[in-house]
Amino acid sequence: MTAGLLPARALVWLMGGFAMLLAVQWQRLPLWLLAACLLLVIWRWLAQAGRVRLPGRILKGAVMLALITAYTASVGGRFTVETAGSFFVLAVALKWLETRTARDFYVLFFILCYLAAVNFLFQQGILWSLLNFFAILVLLIGLQVLNAPDLSHPLRSGGKRLAGLFLKTLPVVVLLFIFFPRLSPLWSVPLVSDQARTGISDTMAPGTISSLAQSSERAFRVTFPGEPPPHRERYWRALILDRYDGTEWTPSRDRPAEPAGKVMTEGSIGSLKDDEYDVLMEPTNRRWAFGLANSRAVSNNVERTEDGLFRFRRPADTAVQYRLARDGAPTGAPALSGRERDRYLRLPASGEVRSRQLARRLDRAHDSDRALIRTLMQRFRNQPYYYTLQPPAMPDDPVDTLLFDAQRGFCAHYASATAFVLRAAGIPSRIVVGYQGGSPGADNEYLIVRQYDAHAWVEAWIPGAGWRRIDPTAAISPARIEQGLQEAVADEGSFLSGEWASPEKYHDIELVRWASLQIDRINYHWQRWVVGYQGQTQMDLMGRLPGNWSLTKLGYLSAGVVGAALLVAGIVTAWRQRTGRHRDPVQRLFHRWRRQLARRGVDSSHIDTPVQLADRASARFPEQSRLHQAFARTINNYYYGEASGSERRRLRWLLKRMKGAGRTPG
Amino acid sequence: MKNPLRHRWRRWVNRRIPRSDHQVLGQRNVFILPTGAGVVFGLLLVIMLITGINYQNSLIYLLVFMLGALFVAAMHQTHRNLAGTEITLVEAGEGFPGQELGFVFHLGRAGGDAIQLMLMTEDGTERSVSVTHEEVISVRLPIRGTRRGPVRVSRIRIETRFPFGLLRAWSWIRPASEGLCYPAPLRPAPESGADHLGDSGDQRRKDAMDHVDIRPWRQGDLSQRVQWKRYARTGELVIADWEGDASDPVWLDFEAWPGADRELRLSYLAWLLEDRERAGQPWGLRFPGFERGPDNGAEHRREGLRALGRFGLEAQSASTKNASHRTSREAA
Repeated sequence: MTAGLLPARALVWLMGGFAMLLAVQWQRLPLWLLAACLLLVIWRWLAQAGRVRLPGRILKGAVMLALITAYTASVGGRFTVETAGSFFVLAVALKWLETRTARDFYVLFFILCYLAAVNFLFQQGILWSLLNFFAILVLLIGLQVLNAPDLSHPLRSGGKRLAGLFLKTLPVVVLLFIFFPRLSPLWSVPLVSDQARTGISDTMAPGTISSLAQSSERAFRVTFPGEPPPHRERYWRALILDRYDGTEWTPSRDRPAEPAGKVMTEGSIGSLKDDEYDVLMEPTNRRWAFGLANSRAVSNNVERTEDGLFRFRRPADTAVQYRLARDGAPTGAPALSGRERDRYLRLPASGEVRSRQLARRLDRAHDSDRALIRTLMQRFRNQPYYYTLQPPAMPDDPVDTLLFDAQRGFCAHYASATAFVLRAAGIPSRIVVGYQGGSPGADNEYLIVRQYDAHAWVEAWIPGAGWRRIDPTAAISPARIEQGLQEAVADEGSFLSGEWASPEKYHDIELVRWASLQIDRINYHWQRWVVGYQGQTQMDLMGRLPGNWSLTKLGYLSAGVVGAALLVAGIVTAWRQRTGRHRDPVQRLFHRWRRQLARRGVDSSHIDTPVQLADRASARFPEQSRLHQAFARTINNYYYGEASGSERRRLRWLLKRMKGAGRTPG
Repeated sequence: MKNPLRHRWRRWVNRRIPRSDHQVLGQRNVFILPTGAGVVFGLLLVIMLITGINYQNSLIYLLVFMLGALFVAAMHQTHRNLAGTEITLVEAGEGFPGQELGFVFHLGRAGGDAIQLMLMTEDGTERSVSVTHEEVISVRLPIRGTRRGPVRVSRIRIETRFPFGLLRAWSWIRPASEGLCYPAPLRPAPESGADHLGDSGDQRRKDAMDHVDIRPWRQGDLSQRVQWKRYARTGELVIADWEGDASDPVWLDFEAWPGADRELRLSYLAWLLEDRERAGQPWGLRFPGFERGPDNGAEHRREGLRALGRFGLEAQSASTKNASHRTSREAA
């Protein structure tokens, strides 16, 4: 069982490519799998170096069994691209122990190529994408080394060759990328991932949102055609929670779990009209989309629910772009049905005595619901309530504790308490979870909404007016709504306290801020124009070209591009074979001499020296002996002697003389 | 050649690549097809494209286009790696049956480099070389000789899979020159007429003295043939010529074994020839249509062995040569 059949230098490249492809996925891969990959690769390497042996059948079987057991346990019957991707990684890791022949090498190469494709489902940022493409190039250098083991300087010569090939084919690749028809999905495929990601979830307990406030991960980006609405108006609704069990808010009306549909097509069509806005959302693995109140779906990849929320037909398992317009009808039906009213008023049967008393008191004191709500907000504004990321624990009767004892809380606490009091006072109300705010990107091109912008507020039903937004946080900490979380908790110093590496934390430093915004902008355009270049976007771009471009026509065009490229390549090859081979003019003259002799029956091969050829020619045509010998001498003089500079002229003259002599009979 | 399709393909190839010791590889005679790995790679690209379509993932499209374009570019690269190479047979091997006859080829390039070319004989021997445009590389390919006579190499395959091994470009050279297999040396039986070694040889030489032509020494005569006894006796330096004597120790004669098979006689002669060479003794060789005076040395040995190898087969081989352009018959 030796491992010496494959050149070590080729293996190194393959291992390097594997490491890069793993790096792209390292955030999502379980730690044990990464460790296993590392160990198996090291094992293979030591075997190559002759330090250890590759495992025998039994040991290999045991390793395989152990890893596959670990894998099955961690996957637990789910089938998504993520689990399949982990399996791929596992397969590659195990394959290292079996990489003995060139055939195994190719199997690994193919798996790694597909792994690169799978990587693109997880990571589409420009830097990760570049790393992914770079890993492919590294693998291709590995193939070159495999096919020419004695190639010296694989990085330089192989890399140069690869770069040459890459640059020559780049125009074709770009044209194909633009014109290749983007077909709609052929069939429904497994989700990329069904694991929850950082972001709002469909339950709200005290603390769920404040944990998000510690993350500066991007949630989505929004582009408005002109000025974006002011900060305090930017309420991005995602979910409605209307069932309260004493500690947690959950949605009562879950849509029936439907199987995930086909992957959504991108939905950004043409330039934005006045009221429209584009949202480019990071993957959430959830079905909800974010939108301002009273919006209408413009792109067809989202649909509006009766609550005025937006839903995808398939969980957003990759980044997705959609378009909404702000001119939609107000949300909700003109009146609440009895059942709905009942649902929005329901509270746990017991607990929170003081809050219920407060609600009854308020209810008695006010005729209208609006007045009652105003008074409640006044209470928040005037009494010493604090907005904090570090509220005390409130295990029992959280609403009572917050309102009367602690008076310190985060948006989720205040929203929960407000909804509770309103319901107790007989006003139908519900919690809305989403994001509030968003900071401008580079040159105010778009807004970036981050996880720490996550927010919860309340909507209450006012007869005749419908659902109205009530945000207790706005009463307690206007800075949060006007400027954002960082300003709101500036005194406390708790902003992103756990994320010391996040550039958002150092937003005060102009350079950091500028750099991070520029990087974000590059990523945004990459995402929008390269990653997001799909179905509708392509048709939109094609619509701007003259002529009516259907998918079929694009197909013909792509075929034409490929055909033209092949033709050009063929012509270049033929031309090079004809003329370009001898750049050296004296070489060309030498070959003219050879051709002339060949026509007159003196064969030669390229390994003949000029003198040999002259001897042969002299034997055949003794009368021209002097001409041929002179020709050979001149060539030798040009290359090896002291060249006088007139050799080329002399050679040409000699050739002409020979030709003339060849024609005269005898 | 059972398969008629294969047969026709080979005939077509033979028409395209005539027998010649010199071959310039170019568009006319270089063939290119994907290797097994290349076919799998193509399938992989299709699967990746379908993945890209179903997940509406532009970057996968981009990856597929990039790899596809590199594949096509590699096709040109592989082709160019082979095309432009000139291959010349400079030495056709000679040797005894069972030995490997070294056929020496020179490879050169008019421009550009060729990396990792493989030369393969029909029986599966491989040699790989890289040729840069400044140099001429010499490659020795062993061809196993089986039977006495001219050895024709039906074809040598020259192949490259560089750079990625996904495509294979290949061509053949069909050398016109033939190698040669000498007769297998066979020691003649001691009682047979041709064994002149040992003590009996001296006796016989004495017996044959009457038939000897005595002539004065001339410049160039070998010292072994000087009659030293006579010189001691008379002071005359004379040479004994045993011309025409079959039982002569110097002359190896085809006629020495009357009744023996032709091939057997040639084998005996080859053995004796080699034996004389080993001993450093001069020898002459004589058989119908051939005669070379006594001498020794590498050149002389090769001449003798060649003559033995070709004996009786010259005409046959010449006829094959004439037929070489009628490739159809040859292929059958």
